[in-house]
Amino acid sequence: MQIAIIGCSAAGISAIEAIRSKDKKSRITVISDEKRPLYSRCLISYLLAGTIDEKTIWYRPDGFFKQNKVDAVLGAKATKIDTEKKEIFFERVRLGGRVEKLKFDKLLIATGASPKLEKIPGVDKKGVFPLRTIGHTQEIQSMLGRVKKAAVLGGGLIGLRAAYALKNRGKEVSVFVRSPQILSQIIDEGSASMMQKHIEKKGINIVTGRSAKEISGKDSVSGIILDDGSKYDCELVIIGKGVSANIDLAKAAGIKTNWGIVVDEFLRTSDKNIFAAGDVAESFDVALEENSINAIWPVACEQGRLAALNMLGNEERYDGTLAMNSLEFFGLPVISIGITKPKKDIYEEIVRTDAEKNIYKKIVLRNNVIVGAIALNSVDTIGIFGALIKNKVDITPIKDIILEDYFDYGKIVNLIKGAKYGFKEKEFKETIMTL
Amino acid sequence: MKKIFCDIKKCIGCSACEIACAIEHSKSKKINEAIKEIPLPIKRRKAQAVDKGITISTGCHHCEDAPCVTACMSGAMYKDKKTGETKHDEDRCVGCWMCVMTCPFGALTRQKQDKIVVKCDLCPDRDTPACVEACPTEALFIGTEKEFEEKLCKSR
Ligand SMILES: Cc1cc2nc3c(=O)[nH]c(=O)nc-3n(C[C@H](O)[C@H](O)[C@H](O)COP(=O)(O)OP(=O)(O)OC[C@H]3O[C@@H](n4cnc5c(N)ncnc54)[C@H](O)[C@@H]3O)c2cc1C
Repeated sequence: MQIAIIGCSAAGISAIEAIRSKDKKSRITVISDEKRPLYSRCLISYLLAGTIDEKTIWYRPDGFFKQNKVDAVLGAKATKIDTEKKEIFFERVRLGGRVEKLKFDKLLIATGASPKLEKIPGVDKKGVFPLRTIGHTQEIQSMLGRVKKAAVLGGGLIGLRAAYALKNRGKEVSVFVRSPQILSQIIDEGSASMMQKHIEKKGINIVTGRSAKEISGKDSVSGIILDDGSKYDCELVIIGKGVSANIDLAKAAGIKTNWGIVVDEFLRTSDKNIFAAGDVAESFDVALEENSINAIWPVACEQGRLAALNMLGNEERYDGTLAMNSLEFFGLPVISIGITKPKKDIYEEIVRTDAEKNIYKKIVLRNNVIVGAIALNSVDTIGIFGALIKNKVDITPIKDIILEDYFDYGKIVNLIKGAKYGFKEKEFKETIMTL
Repeated sequence: MKKIFCDIKKCIGCSACEIACAIEHSKSKKINEAIKEIPLPIKRRKAQAVDKGITISTGCHHCEDAPCVTACMSGAMYKDKKTGETKHDEDRCVGCWMCVMTCPFGALTRQKQDKIVVKCDLCPDRDTPACVEACPTEALFIGTEKEFEEKLCKSR
């Protein structure tokens, strides 16, 4: 069998490993437009910050393709999929765009996402960057010597990581956030304001409720103009305004797409020979109970693995995605899972704060089942909430203690025993067995 | 695979496992010196209350489809292909806490000074893990799941 994979990051790499754990014979060809793709995308801001060295970012060894017997077509962009003939067309960037084609029996689309760029005048000036690839990091690094002040547009995960990195490099940084709070896609106002105060204390300037309307300068950036007309001088602008799924290839091939490529519980697209995984895939979200894209690393890896197993003819059911993020700035960690800012009144929220210890904890419930959680500065047991979310456990018996500092695995043992549908993860059996 | 199990019926929550674990993971491996080390040695096993008079000693379950391995964005957390053990390479760890976020048992501990995570390593320098050896009621057991089941059957 010939398996083709487009995209070689979290989802693609995880798929390759899963295929080879079961099948040593099938041919695997991976097409990637990045020339050296075996790095961890999540670590590029760490590299920019200088908190890791170049070595750490390559999270798979150089011999990876050889070890796994993979034909790696690197520096090549897939341009067309013919679903009927089961062929992919791709252009070799280095060979002057020479077009070649590849036949496949099964195809995985793992093309990920691209940063959304601001549609404001001046975004094409030198010194304006998104932060998505190791190439971006290297370009930014190469001009850092000339930078004294930087502006970050967007107060999400990537914007703040970029700001942290630049601050760590001794730059003066201001972050401009359109929403009234930072991290608005990830955490609620209460926890965000605690994080914001903490970050500001460490010397990063954060301006909420403000966005840039123009980037000024001749060829290179010299500053930004904000929506209230005020100006901020800087030599570098980083845009962190979220991502959009790379669906064009699939869409043009007639594969069903919405915000992402729509997949079923086996990660299969509307074409039975074609699967999708990672930032490009839109799948059932267990907390929202509707389709969604959670563009995060663990989801990409798990989907890549399951899609791969299903391409080999297995029927591995995917339970669905769940949003989750972990961040730490200057020693203050925050982790969030699922729905953190419920909009409808069918949800109940329980919050516990401890001003002295700078702790903020919250769970969001629907019919006494947790569907979301935030933990700031007390994060160690939040993974247990994740298990309670996925297994849809009625937590009524522990509702009054679940946000306490002493909450731990022991406190859900009785729930596991009583859970209506049991816990899916087989490791929980070990506990029940002894009760 | 061989790993550590706890029989809740026998656990008395005495914390002997915690202390033995912390000492085993200290530099000196001696209690009188371990308590002076900086950073303090960290236990990877915890005695936890379940209900009145009921306790459990818990740590890494070395899950088959380990969510911490899937979530790890630096390649630090991995499965030992031979033993099935969930291992952690501290040199690769960047302290992103993605494993903490996904562990259904809350079994990982943050070592804040070096910004790395620490976990049960089944005591590679010993024949029997320190916690199992220290357990005064034989609640803790090292072996395969099948062996543990057999042991339970016999004792009940
Ligand atoms: C700075 C930063 C920090 C992050 N931090 C975190 C974090 O802390 N936690 C977390 O969970 N997630 C984080 N993420 C998100 C995480 O990196 C992504 O969810 C993950 O990389 C998705 O993997 P993927 O394989 O689906 O797609 P991608 O990583 O986007 O990879 C897709 C690959 O396919 C290639 N490609 C696309 N189209 C084509 C084509 N037509 N032909 C050939 N190749 C193509 C792309 O160039 C790319 O190499 C972060 C992302 C960034 C940028």
